[in-house]
Amino acid sequence: MKNEMSRIVRTVTTLIYGFIIVYGFYVIAHGHLTPGGGFQGGAIAASAFALLVVTYGDQGVKDFLKKDILSLVESTGLVLFIAFAFFGLGVTFFYNFMANSGGLFGNSAIIGINPGDLNTGGTIPIMNIAVGLEVLAALGVIILTMSAGSKNTKKKENS
Amino acid sequence: MKKSIFAIALVFFVAFMIVAAFGMRLFGEPIISEMDDYYIQNAQAETGANNVVTTIVFDYRGFDTLGEATVLFTAVLGITALFREAAK
Amino acid sequence: MSLLVSFAHIAVLVIMIIAAFLAVMFKDLLPAVIALAVVSLLLSLEFYLLHAPDVAIAEAGIGAALTMAIYIFAIRATRK
Repeated sequence: MKNEMSRIVRTVTTLIYGFIIVYGFYVIAHGHLTPGGGFQGGAIAASAFALLVVTYGDQGVKDFLKKDILSLVESTGLVLFIAFAFFGLGVTFFYNFMANSGGLFGNSAIIGINPGDLNTGGTIPIMNIAVGLEVLAALGVIILTMSAGSKNTKKKENS
Repeated sequence: MKKSIFAIALVFFVAFMIVAAFGMRLFGEPIISEMDDYYIQNAQAETGANNVVTTIVFDYRGFDTLGEATVLFTAVLGITALFREAAK
Repeated sequence: MSLLVSFAHIAVLVIMIIAAFLAVMFKDLLPAVIALAVVSLLLSLEFYLLHAPDVAIAEAGIGAALTMAIYIFAIRATRK
């Protein structure tokens, strides 16, 4: 492949992209406790996809990143977000019906400065995960499509 | 002629910016802060999440996040339609 | 402590202006794009110094990583 980068870039990418994806999911999952959230964590995970596509080209990552699966994940995230907004419709749209209820994500938070409990927040962690999946898949689709489109443009110009 | 008009306008603009910078309030002390105080005092008890910024983005102002997600979805739709030849 | 923070603000903003100037002045396109990414990264550091870590993470992810990847695709497509 003539689009591949040098050996140094390939080795560093192979070592590092898993850690970037895991850090993105950490930021998504702890969005209601630490700085960050769905959008930021999704952008971090999508930057790992961008690193892979820049290094190996869109043909080299064909087995790992599939455009159909990414668009399915994107639609799933958006539908999950809107569904959990509609579930609170007994009171208002976007009502946080799971907060302080004792069930899933239902513990009440300690008031004041504290290290935080992961099982709090009501619908906020679920919406974080939904928006995180949506942003991750959307930016991945944008990167993949733009890479393929730029190669097509180059072929058309050179012919 | 044109350059002198531009120079005079630039001098007025810079002078206005400097005067406005001296009239700014101190960092972290806004004039109107009733809504901020309400969020800071009640967000933890009402929603149970520690991060007040995420609380505002996903709970109090959920419509903004819905619009942002729709914008991203529309961007993907437009880019996929634009590069439909390359996608084969 | 406050003096140190103000010195950090001034240093970050001055290096940002220098990097933005270099992004305009470079003849080769790839160094210019890398200078643009440096501007974005220093902007995220400035957001962090202003106590806005959420915006800093978003700026570092979008501005320094994804924008630069798309610019690299464009440069690759236009070069022989």
